[in-house]
Amino acid sequence: MNQTYNLQIGLFIPCYIDQFYPQVGIATLELLHKLGLDVHYPLKQTCCGQPMANSGSEKEAVPTYKNFIRNFCQFDYVVSPSGSCVYHVREHYNILEQTDEVKKVRKNTFELCEFIVDVLKMDDLKIDYPHKVGIHQSCHGLRGLKLGTSSELVAERSSKVHRLLEKAKGIEIINLDREDECCGFGGTFSVFYPDVSVRMGKDRLNDHLRNGTEIITATDMSCLMHLEGIIRRQKYNLKVAHIAEILNSNSL
Amino acid sequence: MGRDKILQTIRENKTKVTPLPKTITDTNLKEKFDSGLINRFKEILQHVGGDYFEVNGTEELNAFTERHFSGAANFRKKEIWKRYPPDCPKENIAQLKTVILEVQFGVAENGAVWVDESNFPNRLLPFIAEELIVCLDSKQIISDMHEAYFRIANKVTGFGVFISGPSKTADIEQNLVFGAHGAKKTTVILY
Amino acid sequence: MTKHSCKAGQFLKNEQYAAWHDETLWIVREKRDKMARAVPEWEKLRERASKIKEHTLSELDNYLIEFEKQALKNGAQVHWAADAAQFNQIVYNIINENNASKVVKSKSMLTEECGLNLFLETKGIEVTDTDLGERIIQFRNEPPSHIVMPAIHLKKEEISELFHQKLQTEEGNFDPAYLTTAARLHLRQKFLEAEVAITGVNFAVAETGTVVVCTNEGNADMGAHAAPVQIHCMGIEKIIPGIVDLGVFIRLLARSATGQLITTYTSHYTGPKPGGHMHIVIVDNGRSEHLAKKDYLNALKCIRCGACMNTCPVYRRSGGHSYGSVIPGPIGSILAPHSQIKTSSDLPFASSLCGSCSDVCPVKIDIHDQLYRWRQDLSEMKLVSPGKRYAMKIAGKILSKSKMYDCLGKTARYVIKNLPHKLIYNRFNIWGKGRELPEVPKESFKQWYKRTYQEKGG
Repeated sequence: MNQTYNLQIGLFIPCYIDQFYPQVGIATLELLHKLGLDVHYPLKQTCCGQPMANSGSEKEAVPTYKNFIRNFCQFDYVVSPSGSCVYHVREHYNILEQTDEVKKVRKNTFELCEFIVDVLKMDDLKIDYPHKVGIHQSCHGLRGLKLGTSSELVAERSSKVHRLLEKAKGIEIINLDREDECCGFGGTFSVFYPDVSVRMGKDRLNDHLRNGTEIITATDMSCLMHLEGIIRRQKYNLKVAHIAEILNSNSL
Repeated sequence: MGRDKILQTIRENKTKVTPLPKTITDTNLKEKFDSGLINRFKEILQHVGGDYFEVNGTEELNAFTERHFSGAANFRKKEIWKRYPPDCPKENIAQLKTVILEVQFGVAENGAVWVDESNFPNRLLPFIAEELIVCLDSKQIISDMHEAYFRIANKVTGFGVFISGPSKTADIEQNLVFGAHGAKKTTVILY
Repeated sequence: MTKHSCKAGQFLKNEQYAAWHDETLWIVREKRDKMARAVPEWEKLRERASKIKEHTLSELDNYLIEFEKQALKNGAQVHWAADAAQFNQIVYNIINENNASKVVKSKSMLTEECGLNLFLETKGIEVTDTDLGERIIQFRNEPPSHIVMPAIHLKKEEISELFHQKLQTEEGNFDPAYLTTAARLHLRQKFLEAEVAITGVNFAVAETGTVVVCTNEGNADMGAHAAPVQIHCMGIEKIIPGIVDLGVFIRLLARSATGQLITTYTSHYTGPKPGGHMHIVIVDNGRSEHLAKKDYLNALKCIRCGACMNTCPVYRRSGGHSYGSVIPGPIGSILAPHSQIKTSSDLPFASSLCGSCSDVCPVKIDIHDQLYRWRQDLSEMKLVSPGKRYAMKIAGKILSKSKMYDCLGKTARYVIKNLPHKLIYNRFNIWGKGRELPEVPKESFKQWYKRTYQEKGG
């Protein structure tokens, strides 16, 4: 596929992906290149500020917010393999003075799947993925960014993640008992509420195990980091793969 | 004074007025019930634990209740009203095993019937007996609660109640049991 | 670890019990889903209910005045209570003026909020809670763990043992029908003896002065119609404009609360019974002050259905008692700080902010947004632990400067990779309690990018 877009893309890699899961960042970058995009990775980027804000310290997060805006204001779109970071920028950067720069960045920051489906208007990435895949619908992406219809709502069911995966050759997308219950990561919740957090994670994993999942995927590596931590501790027969890694295993 | 202070604080703190949504006048629910209102009512009534009989017209209804519920306190007959006035000793009413009431209309969406105090002399009567039998003109089955409240508006009396099936509780480990305090059995006679 | 976090930890120690509690409440959520999906216009109903409540709150004083006018015309007596103490006193005065000592009460979270039962009991009044779940917890001397299903945390064996002690039922017989019949007989006696009946109010209709009470058991009606004096207690926010508005709320309430089409009884009390007395007590207790808090205003729309509790993954795994507030769960966590900010400052953090609660709320309260907002306000008020605030201050400094961030990241990765396992997984490593830390890659994404692109002059 050699489509070229006349767009400058800024790549935002969340802090925990940068530090612990660089392969997800690499997959995202490679995928965007394959899709014919001109991608830049500002080196002075750090974090979206969510950890401070979710703990009640949004004022302490303002310098981090400003660093984000500074790094990304010159791009047409900012793309990130993280639903929760993107949700945070779009919803919670409202406490910054809403300059044109701030408004532009907030409006044009996209999670990877929604960028592909809504902006590039694509849903078939010619993926070959003969595995049983369980989709973990990360909450901020699902309910915050409306990447899909949450099970609570009475509306036409849809999911951008599902759309991107369903055409993959050989894939079997697993139906879960509880299709979109939270995994229990919740940012600092995972350390301030360790017992509930781990219990929630174990319950999600048992749902996947019961229904035959081989690989759990999600738009948020934070959820997968938490789930993988439990998988390894409990020695469950499951793997995790960020959606970027699956989408990048294509023949584009 | 509590009242004045409360109202004053509300006046100081309330937000800019937002409009009340326009009243629903057309709910389009009738089309949803493919089987028709009466069949839907019957289906839901059974689903909520109630029972029904069907007869043709008031003459058959009278004969039916005489034959099958002769021992019941039948409040369709005005004669017995004076035996159970509002100040009637509770023990007298508490002894009633079966009560028959005429109800004003039924609601297909939830199997409920509406009855107000113009149809019974004492407010305990719809609740206290072990078995409640209500007589409902099947032409008076409407589709949903929006229609129901349009019917009740402007005709509100001192007390009225929607009753859907028998009294129930699931407070013991979510096990459904009929007859918590009100009727253990509720039957609708459609005529 | 916060108070709630510790209690949640305790709750989860009995894994089987916790799994049962979680599954039991999840089933109620599923019932709600089934009901909601059968109503194609469900989302429109929610929007409508939300707008009706919003409008009503914006004209609350006028609607309350109209309600009072109509209720008085109907022959009811209307009282106003500025706070819990006044409320309790007003109710006691009515009971006392009628020389009564036996009272029956149907479910009312408002009376829980004000501590009415305890107050009346100290005055020598016998109060019997007549909702079966409420009677069970009254026997156990504990608060409700859920606002709609007060005894949801109890197993039938526990209830059987309780009834054996209190009602002399057969020991070891935990058949729900048997136990319910025993309760029916016991409470029927109370209904017939009661001189005063107290009920809550689901909706108060301004247009007609009507109070609406929804029950499955019929206990509100048994109480109110048998006793010569009936008292209905309502928060100021229970007002809705007109009779026809009830259509929206009655269709939403039971479906959201228990997954039923409607409660067995939906009772409309407009005037006293001939020869009887009807009192309505309108209670403020902080609600009029709450009106001023724009970020939190929507919480006053609550119709107390409990759907947010049933869907909350944290509530289901920690139980209502772990919150330590009158109303637990998501809605409780955003209401409690208004009246008990010091003791409930941990509650807005008892959440992963998944947003499920906001999606099930029939009146569209933005619960998860308010949880987030409370966290900010509590932090500003220094009601968040100093350790946490200090850590976030440091994090804020480091994460805003790329050099410091890069350095910290490198250090963290080095430490995790190289320190002995026992040192890493010590008791200070809370993450490590139930999870492995992520495996450490040989370089960060930034390092890889610099190496791959900058060296190549890219």
